[in-house]
Formats: sequence, structure tokens, C-alpha cells
Amino acid sequence: MSRLLEINHLKKYFPIRGGLLNRQVADFRAVDDVSFTLQEGKTLGLVGESGSGKTTIGKCILRLLEPTSGQILYDGQDITHIKARELRRLRSEIQMIYQAPAASLNGRMTVGQIIGEPLWIHEKLRGDDARDRVLELMTVVGLKEEHYYRYPHEFSGGQQQRIGIARALAVQPRLIVLDEPTSALDVSVQAQILNLLQDLQDQFDLTYLFISHDLGVVRYMCDEVALLYLGKIVEVAKTEVIFEEPKHPYTQALISAIPEPDPDLQREEIIIRGDLSHTFPQGGCPFAPRCHAEKLASCDSVLPPLLEADQGHLVACHLHPALSASSASEPA
Amino acid sequence: MADLLNIEDLHLEFHTYDGVAKVLAGVDLKMQRGDVLGLVGETGCGKSMTALSVPRLIPMPPGKITEGRVTFDGEDILSKSESEMESFRASHLGMIFQDPVTNLNPLFTIREQLVDAVLYQQARGQRVPGRWKGFLPSVRQLRSEAQERAVELMRLTGIPDGDKRIFEYPHQFSGGMRQRVLIAMALAGDPDLLIADEPTTALDVTIQAQILRLIRSLVKQLGLTVLLITHNLGVVARSCERVAVMYSGRVVEESPVRELFKNPKHPYTRGLINAVPQKDVSRGGLIGIPGMIPNLINPPAGCRFHPRCEQAMEICRRQVPAAIAVGAEHKASCFLYPEDA
Repeated sequence: MSRLLEINHLKKYFPIRGGLLNRQVADFRAVDDVSFTLQEGKTLGLVGESGSGKTTIGKCILRLLEPTSGQILYDGQDITHIKARELRRLRSEIQMIYQAPAASLNGRMTVGQIIGEPLWIHEKLRGDDARDRVLELMTVVGLKEEHYYRYPHEFSGGQQQRIGIARALAVQPRLIVLDEPTSALDVSVQAQILNLLQDLQDQFDLTYLFISHDLGVVRYMCDEVALLYLGKIVEVAKTEVIFEEPKHPYTQALISAIPEPDPDLQREEIIIRGDLSHTFPQGGCPFAPRCHAEKLASCDSVLPPLLEADQGHLVACHLHPALSASSASEPA
Repeated sequence: MADLLNIEDLHLEFHTYDGVAKVLAGVDLKMQRGDVLGLVGETGCGKSMTALSVPRLIPMPPGKITEGRVTFDGEDILSKSESEMESFRASHLGMIFQDPVTNLNPLFTIREQLVDAVLYQQARGQRVPGRWKGFLPSVRQLRSEAQERAVELMRLTGIPDGDKRIFEYPHQFSGGMRQRVLIAMALAGDPDLLIADEPTTALDVTIQAQILRLIRSLVKQLGLTVLLITHNLGVVARSCERVAVMYSGRVVEESPVRELFKNPKHPYTRGLINAVPQKDVSRGGLIGIPGMIPNLINPPAGCRFHPRCEQAMEICRRQVPAAIAVGAEHKASCFLYPEDA
């Protein structure tokens, strides 16, 4: 099994401007020192509340945003600073599917044009050849042939998302960044789309980076989960492990907040106080002001590093020290 | 006990350029004092329209109620005049909506908006009729009383430092806090019925849990009756006592919460429950409902669910099923169940 994507110490800061001359007065740390790896053919879930930086990470991987620092390795190659020409080739390998299907499709193009455009850009395919490929793609995602000349507004949300998926598949990518692909959809349609994504993954050997705030969906889709809080990863582990034995207090609270459709479910409901706030005590743990767990002296003063607290289970919390001192230096 | 709210055979149409959309096609719904009823369904099934028909906030035209009755505490709502409706809304109803951002005016402080709500409810509500008519010198007094009440409401809805934060503007509040402000406004008139239309859909899960807990505690503390509209079955399982499932303009199943999840009868309800990714569903095990929601201008004849139903029979294509008792307090509108069961 090979590492398809490797992110090392990725940072993305946005400038906060102010003052008389509108100079940069501070940084807004949207993504702050994030590292993870994604194995080929697997699905990694990137979970967090709004404002946690999950979409920013996705955009940095596609180089739609320039990272402030850090390294992005795709298939062993450093793509953090590659030039526009190489970037274009890369974009046929990495594709993105967006949250709002209606907004991500051009309303003045027909379905055939939308799905055919990447074929022209990347493979110079036109005319009948392109048409055949587009129709083939449309069958793959469950659209009908007669939809070819229709416009996006004539479709329901679920169908629009299928168009977006077909467009992403057109260039035969290996990695797809899925940014909340189902959060705008109804549950019955969400189930259809999730199943379609799984079928496509098996069929075309795709690797997914699955960005979502819905832990129920993540549990269903992902092999591994990384939890983000204020631009930092707080916990990474295999999906079963995260849901069975969450270690970080934030993860525990999030899991207990999943609204499960089972009225008999008895569980301790952890309600965390307050809201996501970017003004946490500098130097300390970003989650400390809302944390419900036992508080240590170091919580407010020392930033907990992401360490391997159990085999393949990384946690950034002072309550969970590393397995051994040697594994502390380099998170896998 | 008499019903607090009774919606009978409500039909609602919308006149559009493409034709007449039959948005509600015979909704029956009853609520008693102290009920917490969840109204569940997907986009376009008419759950919000059903709820908006109680405060009569549906724009008419283009909307038109063609049949049916809505009674609240024995009073017929549909025959009231607009000014009667205003005082009815102020004294009996509270509403909260999905998006806490667009429901607060960004140009005014929380104090101005909340105090306005309190004063309005006092002036319009039946309980304090015309209280400040002829007492103009005491308006200032009334305002300060209303402000005390507003701070009290903020405390009740869990906003810390209400006496200070009341001077802030909406943008200084987070999404969860804004929703609490809206709940405080809805409670200003001491309503008999709180209608919550997707109150947590725009919020993060942790904040959603906070708001649901708040609503539950208000039910206990104030004996509120709540109509909770949501598309999220998990929210219903956590917060409600009874559930009504809607599909394309009708209530297709109604039952106590536990019964509905343990023993769903209508094929649509089953499909909906199976479509939620749950704990023990493994890869590939999720079952969606094939097809999509029907067009409301040309809805399918008979049971509107039959084109997507795997158990559809000949009769489903011709006839609309009536609600049948399928258990204790459990009703379903489906031909799969014999009439006299």
C-alpha cells in the first residue's frame, strides 16, 4: 500500500488588516501545523465544526489556495510550489466535489458541456468522441441519456450532485477531495449519493479525502478519521477506534452529540460549553476553555503535541501521554 | 382533554405560472397541551407549510386554503380577521426559525429588538389589554420594566451576562447565542405553543445539542407545547414524545417516538430510517429510497409514495389511503394494513 498524499506541517494564515494604514496586524490561523497521510484507495475523513479549517486544507491540496508554509507530497512528489504548467497536469489527478451542487455548476451550460469541458481542457477531446465519453460517464453516475442537453436548474439537488461527480470523474482522477458532498441533500438522497461514491471508489480505485461535519456519514464512509479543532488536528485513528474509544475530550463530546435515530440509546451526553472561539489563550490547548475533562496545569500554558497514544492512534491532549518517548518526535 | 391544536383535512394550493401546486393534500394533526410533537419529512413535503398555517403566515395569494379547518383551543383560526390574528399570534404563539442570522436586524441592539418583542406582546396580547394607553409619561417606566423582563428571558434561555450583552449587536453573538435570543423573543409573550421550524439545522452538532437541551428544559420548566419541525430523525428521537412523518403534503404515519423507531409501519418511514447512516451499518449497507420526491403540480394519483414504494399494489395507484390505527396511538396511511386491525 502506498502513500498517495502526505501533508507535512501545513499552515495557512490569512492576514487580519487594521489600523490607520490598513497594515497587517495579526494572522488568522485557519490551518495551523497539520500533518497527515492518505493511503491509496482509502478514505480519510476530515471532521470539524464550521471554522475548523477543513475546507481550507482541501483547497490547499488542490493549490486553489497557496499554503503559508509546509509541504504537500502527492505520490512522492512535492507539489507545494510546482509551476502552473505542471499544476495543470496535476489537476487531472486531483479533483474536487463541492457542497452546494447548484452553485458549483455553471447555469448557462448544458449537462453535456459541463461534463465535457474537462475532457477538452485536459485531453483535447471534442465532438463525437467527447460526447461518447460524456454519455458513458453519465451512465456511470446514474444519469440518463436524455439529460445531455438539459441545464442544471432542471435537476433536483441529488441529480445535480451526480453531475458534479461525473465532471470530477471525467479526467480519471486518482484522488478526489469531497467537500461536504451530501450536507445539502435530504437523507434518502444522501444515502443514494454515498452509495454511488462507494461504488465508484471500488470501480475506479479512487482515494477520497472526505470533508464533513456529520460524524454519522463519516463513520459510514471513512477508513480513517482526523478531527480538527481551530485549525489543528486533535485526534487521528481508524474509524472503528475513534468511535469505540475516543480519547480526546472534544472527540468524546462530538460523538455524544450525534443525534442517533434511536430513542432507547442510553449514553452520557456531554454538552460542551460555549462556542468555537479563535481567541483561546495563546500557548495553551485551543480546546481548554470549553473542555469538560479534568484540567491540568499545563492545559492553559502548553500546547499539547499530536502524539501516538496507542498503536496508530494519535491524540493531542495532555491527558493522554505518548506510548513511548521515542515516538514523540515524528507523528506518522 | 380537549386538543390545543387541531388541524383537520387541510388542503393548501399555490398558484404558480406552471400550474397549481397541491402543497398540502389533507393534513390531519392534533396536539394537546404539553405535547412535544416532531414533524419530520424531506424538502418540499409540506412540513413548514403545515406549521405556518397555524399563525396564518402563508402568503395568500398565491397560496390558497381550499379545504379543511384549523382550530386552536376551540377557536377557528381560518375565519379570524387580520387584526384578530395579530393579537392571537402575540398572546398564544411563539415561533423560531432555521436561520438565526436573517431573523435579527443587524442595525439594532439585542435590547431594542428584545424589548420591542416584550412590549409588543404586552400591548397586543389579551392578558394586558391596552396597558399603556393614556399613560404616556410612564412609557419610560414600561421600557425599563420590559428590559428587566428581557434580561430575565435571556437568563432563562441560557445567555450569560444578559444585563451586559443586551447592549450588543447581533453580529457580536455566535450562531447558537443568536438562536437563544430568538427563543427568548418567542417566549416573550408566554406562548401556549412554540413552533420551532428547523431550529438547529444551521448550527454545528455541539451547538445543536445545547439548543435541544435548552428546548427540553423549557418544556419541563414552563410546560411549553412544542411543534418541532425537522428533517433530522436523530433530533426527533432525542427531543420529542410523538412524531408525525409527512410525505408530499400528507401525514403518512404518526406515533409515539419509541414505537416509530422500533416498529415503523409505513414503507416511507422505514426507508427514511434505513437511509440514516447508523452505528452498525457497514460499508455498502446503507439503503436509500429510489427516485425522488414527486412533482406537486402533477402529483401521482392514489398514494403519492407509490412510484417509489417497493411494496406498491394495484390499489395504491388508484386510491388515497386513509389513516388506519396500526397500534396503540399509532396510525399509518397505507393499504398494507387491514382497515380493522
